[in-house]
Amino acid sequence: MTDVLIKATGLGKAYPKAHRAGDRLRALGRLLFRRGDPDRVVVLHDVNLEVKRGESLGLIGANGAGKSTLLKLVTGVLTPTEGSVAVHGSIGALLELGAGFHPEYSGRDNVAMAAALHGLSGATLRERLPCIIEFADIGHYIDEPVKHYSSGMVVRLGFAVIAALRPDVLITDEVLAVGDESFQKKCIRWMQQYLDDGGTLVLVSHSMYHVQKLCRHACWLRDGMVAMAGDVFDVTQAYLAWHERNSVPDEARTIGAGAAAGVEFHVARMTLNDDMSERPLLLDPGSSMRIGVRIHSRDGRIPCIAVGIVRADGTPVYGTSSEMDHHVPQRGEGSEYVADIEFPDIALLPGSYSVRVHAMDPEGVRVFDTMERIVTIRGASREFGMVRLAHRWHASSGARAS
Amino acid sequence: MLFVPFLERDFRNRFSNSFFGGMWALLQPLLQLAVYAFVFGYVFKARIPGADAPGYVPFLVVALWPWTAFAEAVLRSTTVIQDNAALIGKVALPREVLVLASVSTSFLLHGAGFLIAMLVLRMFGVPVDLYWLPPAMALYIPLFALASGFALALSAIQVFVRDLSQALAQLLPLGMFCAPVFYDRELLPERFRAWLDVNPFTFYAESFRALLLDHGAFSLGRLLVAALIAALVLFAGHRLFRRLDPHFEDFL
Repeated sequence: MTDVLIKATGLGKAYPKAHRAGDRLRALGRLLFRRGDPDRVVVLHDVNLEVKRGESLGLIGANGAGKSTLLKLVTGVLTPTEGSVAVHGSIGALLELGAGFHPEYSGRDNVAMAAALHGLSGATLRERLPCIIEFADIGHYIDEPVKHYSSGMVVRLGFAVIAALRPDVLITDEVLAVGDESFQKKCIRWMQQYLDDGGTLVLVSHSMYHVQKLCRHACWLRDGMVAMAGDVFDVTQAYLAWHERNSVPDEARTIGAGAAAGVEFHVARMTLNDDMSERPLLLDPGSSMRIGVRIHSRDGRIPCIAVGIVRADGTPVYGTSSEMDHHVPQRGEGSEYVADIEFPDIALLPGSYSVRVHAMDPEGVRVFDTMERIVTIRGASREFGMVRLAHRWHASSGARAS
Repeated sequence: MLFVPFLERDFRNRFSNSFFGGMWALLQPLLQLAVYAFVFGYVFKARIPGADAPGYVPFLVVALWPWTAFAEAVLRSTTVIQDNAALIGKVALPREVLVLASVSTSFLLHGAGFLIAMLVLRMFGVPVDLYWLPPAMALYIPLFALASGFALALSAIQVFVRDLSQALAQLLPLGMFCAPVFYDRELLPERFRAWLDVNPFTFYAESFRALLLDHGAFSLGRLLVAALIAALVLFAGHRLFRRLDPHFEDFL
């Protein structure tokens, strides 16, 4: 069970610079007569990667770090410019949006085509088609041309096809980001089942929650190179910390930019129990959580501050606002308003949650800005749901008196 | 194995959303035949010199149909890689299949149209030699190889040089007029006649006529040369395609 399914050695990819038609002509000449060309943009360099059977790897990194390029190299859509990548076993890949669907054809026809492209025989397809259609769950749209689909529907169908293929390696690129919540949950449930059955997963996502939930290993790409690889929690923490370091010097500037862009209210700062880093806050059940908010108001009007707690999959748990509670934020430095809200003895059950802070207009109608932090409630509980409701057990009045 | 679904898809691409759909495959050759009969037979009253020469319309039709298959296959396949950029960027597949499916569609459609045209000509009393029809149809095999070779090379180059398909639309008619499709070799001045053999299609135009209309002589030697040329073009086209294939995605 420890056989290596994907092995990349010194893998690199450079794109030729071809802005003008003349460049393309020159590039053609060089390719035909096998001469090297120096005019290249390196997007991926010296990537060494190994994915074993049954492993789940999360690929993380900022936009343009080379995640999608790496996936394309692994699936064989792109040819590496340096190094090599070896793949054993079948690959089911959902790269970015679309999965190569033809816009003019119905979903059903596209499913047939995609299945053929992945080497599924007609008989197997007929047998699995009901499964695919049920999984995609897009109703009568299955017989409509794909050009009329929403991007969410395209992803639903694409994922349904890949799920039906049951590949040795499943590769998905930002699939979860597009689907709605019910579909996200369905995908995650499916992927977990697939991993439990010994499947191998390579997932690209910007949601650290999804990465942490589904993957045991992670690889962080930065500027086309592997910045860090290893246990998922170590890598995601380091990645988030890097983001945080990157954003701190920019803070002053972003406030200025926000005001210049015409945002009337802007979340300037958010603290959780006096900690303003972007690392997830770890809390024990029943401890108290204090959220500090600082809102920048462009024209000096008093903003309304809304605070919400959602489950990491987006399910709302609780939300309130200063306007509802008739609390007036205090004036801070400059044209900033501050308010703290405390949740004593927090009743959340163990799990991962997001705390969101919104800057709203004084009437509490329009949301101008949002900031989000992750809170993890430690420990284990056999209770169900998200919140522990106050309760008490009684001897029933109907019990026979003895 | 991917060939069949792509072929199906190409067929459907051509006729999808049209009212008559697949009927056009049948209607097109008949309409085209009617137009040629009217223009050349009735308006121009074109004639091929010679005592036992065939009428101009059968003379033209027998060579023009194979040319249409060839020219359309090459022209349409040239952009096939570019047109399927979305698919190529998402799914790993042997890209030759796209080109071959496109060439095959043209040949299947126009090959069938050719058969229909021959039968209709026969019905109107033109002495088309049906006995030689199967060997004549076999001429489509080297022609297919020739078209595939050109299509592979051109579709690969088109990815890099987008002007190609534009230029080709102009060059193909020139190629047609440099082959004895609309005229007979005998109509050319003596010193130009040998030059016609430079054009690979000359052999096909004249051989179809020799076999089906008994106009001119069919030579096995020339068939061998033509088959050799077709094989060479196919080989070279495929080599070029393979060479450029890994770089398609960079330029699409």
